[in-house]
Amino acid sequence: MMTLLDNVGMLCIFMGLPFFLTGTVGLLRFPDIYTRLHALTKADNVGLGLITLGLSLQADNLFIVAKLILIWILVLIASSASCHLVARSAIQKNIHPWVK
Amino acid sequence: MEQLLNGLRSFIVQKNIHLSIHGHAYLGRSVLLRFLLFSAVWFVLTGSDTASWIIGLPAVFLAIGISHVISPYPSAPLSFIGVCSFLPFFIRQSALSGIDVMRRALCRQLAVNPGLVSYTTFLPEGSARIFFVNTISLLPGTLSADLQEDRVTVHTIDKNLAIWANMQNLELRIAILWRVKLHKREAL
Repeated sequence: MMTLLDNVGMLCIFMGLPFFLTGTVGLLRFPDIYTRLHALTKADNVGLGLITLGLSLQADNLFIVAKLILIWILVLIASSASCHLVARSAIQKNIHPWVK
Repeated sequence: MEQLLNGLRSFIVQKNIHLSIHGHAYLGRSVLLRFLLFSAVWFVLTGSDTASWIIGLPAVFLAIGISHVISPYPSAPLSFIGVCSFLPFFIRQSALSGIDVMRRALCRQLAVNPGLVSYTTFLPEGSARIFFVNTISLLPGTLSADLQEDRVTVHTIDKNLAIWANMQNLELRIAILWRVKLHKREAL
């Protein structure tokens, strides 16, 4: 049973990694500050969520699970708030979004 | 320094109004609840390490003070049914938004068609509206770029997405979650 949970956890962690990778690819390829923010916040949110899930499945006790989930929530709040602040400061500096 | 003093002054004024409306018992309860919440966060993060409270306790009191200045009136507790329906929705949408970014970033020809959209929210001022603005950035294809009173500037990665429908859907779910009413702004 323990090894099954460990393996499923490992699978989740491996599923989370491509999100970080594509988030970074997006950060490099996307044309302007706003689209790059899209890449960073969204891909990392899912990537971290999957890694949190994977580590929770491998955790020894519920306290560690609570800690992991709390970290995920705090990162979510920080990333969406900082994303909003970066975008707002860009708008106030009159940086126009890239258009096709 | 002057700014700090002004801040402190307005804080004291706010607190007095607060007291006259709700009384000391209310304030005490609000501070106690905040204390328990922030202490719980610190405890979960640091575990059984008692020495960490040398930093933790001042941090908790600082957090109580700051949160009190920012939001003196805690909102009503979230609706249980709202939480149960919002969580799966949020997790599903987050996953979709991650996959969406993945697809756009890996496309041989960059699949973006960005633009700005202005959206007027019907959510009342306060926690629910702030929550709305922050959640927008975690949903597929949208990012909240500015908030002026009830007008949210949304940046979309693809103008062909159904932004309006998505915003209205999210707004309704948040209204249920925070137990607030969506009120229409008076016609100009």
